[in-house]
Amino acid sequence: MGSTAIVVEDLTKRYGDLVAVDRVSFTVDEGEVFALLGPNGAGKTTTVEMLECLRTPTSGNAYLKGFSIRDPSSVREIKRLIGVLPQEFNAVDNLTVHENVELAAAAKGAKNVREVLEQLGLWELRKRTFSKLSGGLKRRVGIAMALVGDPEIVFLDEPTTGLDPEARRETWLYVKQLKKSGVTVVITTHYMEEAERLSDRVAIIVRGRIAVMGEVRRLVVEYGGKTKLVFEELDGRAESLLRERGYELEVAPDGRTVVKVERHQEIYEVLSALRSLSLDVYPEIRQAGLEEVFLRVIGSRLSERGELV
Amino acid sequence: MTTTPTLVKLLFKSWMRSKVSLFFGFLFPVMLLLVFGSIFGGPSPPNYTLYVRNLDVDQHGTPGVLSEAFVRALNGSVFEVRLLKPGDPTPRGTGFAAVRVLTIPRGFTDNLLNTTMLNRIDVTTDTITSIIRMAGERIPEQTRDQIEASMEGLQTFKRFIVAEGVQITLEGSPDDRLLQPIEGIINVIASKFELGLLNASSAIEIRTVHAQVRQLRSVDYYLPGYIAAFIMTNGLIGVSSLVSDMHRRGVIKLLASTPVSKATWITSLIVVQTLASLLLTAVMVAVGWLVFRIVAIPDLYSLAVILLGTLAFTGFGVLIGGTVKEAEAVTALGNSISFPMMFLSGAFWPLELMPGFLQAAARYMPLYYFHVALRETLVAGSPETALFPALLVAALAVVGVTSAVLMTKWRDF
Ligand SMILES: Nc1ncnc2c1ncn2[C@@H]1O[C@H](COP(=O)(O)OP(=O)(O)OP(=O)(O)O)[C@@H](O)[C@H]1O
Ligand SMILES: [Mg+2]
Repeated sequence: MGSTAIVVEDLTKRYGDLVAVDRVSFTVDEGEVFALLGPNGAGKTTTVEMLECLRTPTSGNAYLKGFSIRDPSSVREIKRLIGVLPQEFNAVDNLTVHENVELAAAAKGAKNVREVLEQLGLWELRKRTFSKLSGGLKRRVGIAMALVGDPEIVFLDEPTTGLDPEARRETWLYVKQLKKSGVTVVITTHYMEEAERLSDRVAIIVRGRIAVMGEVRRLVVEYGGKTKLVFEELDGRAESLLRERGYELEVAPDGRTVVKVERHQEIYEVLSALRSLSLDVYPEIRQAGLEEVFLRVIGSRLSERGELV
Repeated sequence: MTTTPTLVKLLFKSWMRSKVSLFFGFLFPVMLLLVFGSIFGGPSPPNYTLYVRNLDVDQHGTPGVLSEAFVRALNGSVFEVRLLKPGDPTPRGTGFAAVRVLTIPRGFTDNLLNTTMLNRIDVTTDTITSIIRMAGERIPEQTRDQIEASMEGLQTFKRFIVAEGVQITLEGSPDDRLLQPIEGIINVIASKFELGLLNASSAIEIRTVHAQVRQLRSVDYYLPGYIAAFIMTNGLIGVSSLVSDMHRRGVIKLLASTPVSKATWITSLIVVQTLASLLLTAVMVAVGWLVFRIVAIPDLYSLAVILLGTLAFTGFGVLIGGTVKEAEAVTALGNSISFPMMFLSGAFWPLELMPGFLQAAARYMPLYYFHVALRETLVAGSPETALFPALLVAALAVVGVTSAVLMTKWRDF
């Protein structure tokens, strides 16, 4: 990776007694996709909005391409560098797609409206009134408004919350495109899958603090635990055979049997052992992911709606 | 540098596409003008108020006997006489009530008395001369000579009496359809007065003059009232809900994350509202002319008043929309400030139709000064009388725009 795009140092935001963001520090490299993953109210928005110079930190500091967010003269420079999709953003209802992107372009002094619309597949739809678009397209217009003006750093605050799975996957595609073009992206989400698929690095943030941070793969290896093979039903014969061979076995209350393996190679070993008993079974293979990391580190799960459960 | 024009263009498009702003910005005021203009459009209801300015007074201000008697005769007729002191200014029409001023000239009593005296002398000499002629030889020649000599004496005496005809002046609006009948009534009273009291005639002559200020018809009154009222609602209700909506959508957040400044944003809103105000004025003036033949071409003064009012109410709209959090509260606040003002400030109907305490209350409403200033400039063509209310609107504009700029947040929303 190249040089550093964002440096965050002990960034803190208090609202009265509430510490919304508590001494958060991290760095984001140029061209990297960095995800802030956390439940509702974790402080994701507060963190990114401090970086966007939209909220004043209580203490700490951050630098975007070397410009301090606390120095009024460099704030202007920062605003030239960034593109922002606010949380739950909705463009102006009675303007068209083109006019909305033009609005953002005017604010940034940008001229590449057409280019951005084409890039996001909106050019054909440019004359459509915003209010008449589907949820997915609306969000895409928001992303276009963030991207117009070729920002070097893009902040996307929960870009897929509330979208149907298809629209979500579509949005991911655009973020990947963005990464290819070398833009630095900071994305917030409470979807494990989103962080897992998109980000180079992820920071799990809970109650204003970063609990754990790093490359997704590395976190999974470190915290995720073993791969699980889940069998609908295994007879006593099979279970004792596997125990003999040294596998860790668990029988769930619903009668299913979970076999834990360390390496992928072991999956085949388990299956061929069962075949030798002429058992032709097909287990569900559960690979560890961010979900396990989250569970391990935070001690609870994250629901589809972003709540800790 | 193209930022502001583009923002203005897009915000204006959005404004013109919004059904609510079209309704309040154009349709509603035009409908009101058509409806109320047709119902109450004609001249004001008849009234017989007559201002009398009696200049026939001595150095202590005591009126001459005859002018006083004449005023009493007028008062005893259909007129409701209101006396003006010699130095009092001519009352101005406030909208509906026609103003007519009858001026009794200095020397009214003296001139009438002298005229009467001359008449009596003439009658006396004429009578005596005829009697002598009829009596003829029966009167002794000496006596006849004596009488003729005294008649000549009377004629000589007459030359010392200065008697001028008196001219009273009736001043009124050319639009006052009652002015002519009123002149006729005064004429009749004057003749009776002459005959009854003085046994003389043609001593009093009435001259009718048309005042410079035209009396307003109801529609003339409504036109600037509606324009002002809806420029106000455009700001207090329209702009406030627009700003609040932009906040909720995150559009303001997005704009604030770009290099665009708060000042540019507010300026764009003000320019858009100025365009909307001018458009509203144009539509209203056009409808007024087409339907009611009101000729009210906005001059520079009325345009300045429109600009000031737009600045003031747009400023307060931006303030409300930016500081009040809930959308419902924004609308509720905008409405609860606008509607009482619309109905009670005299923008919708003349204050004279309202009870005294409400008339007094109207003086505390910003809209009152806005519509008065606009009426004085747009319809009455009288920038002098618009000056004071216009200055108050200007002060309001300064306060409104300043507080909008100070209170609008461009970070830490
Ligand atoms: N302006 C504010 N005033 C007071 N408290 C605030 C303010 N903004 C945020 N908070 C509080 O700070 C905490 C963090 O909020 P933040 O919006 O940053 O969370 P988030 O991670 O973005 O959550 P979400 O998924 O709901 O968007 C929350 O407890 C929230 O209630
Ligand atoms: Mg958030």
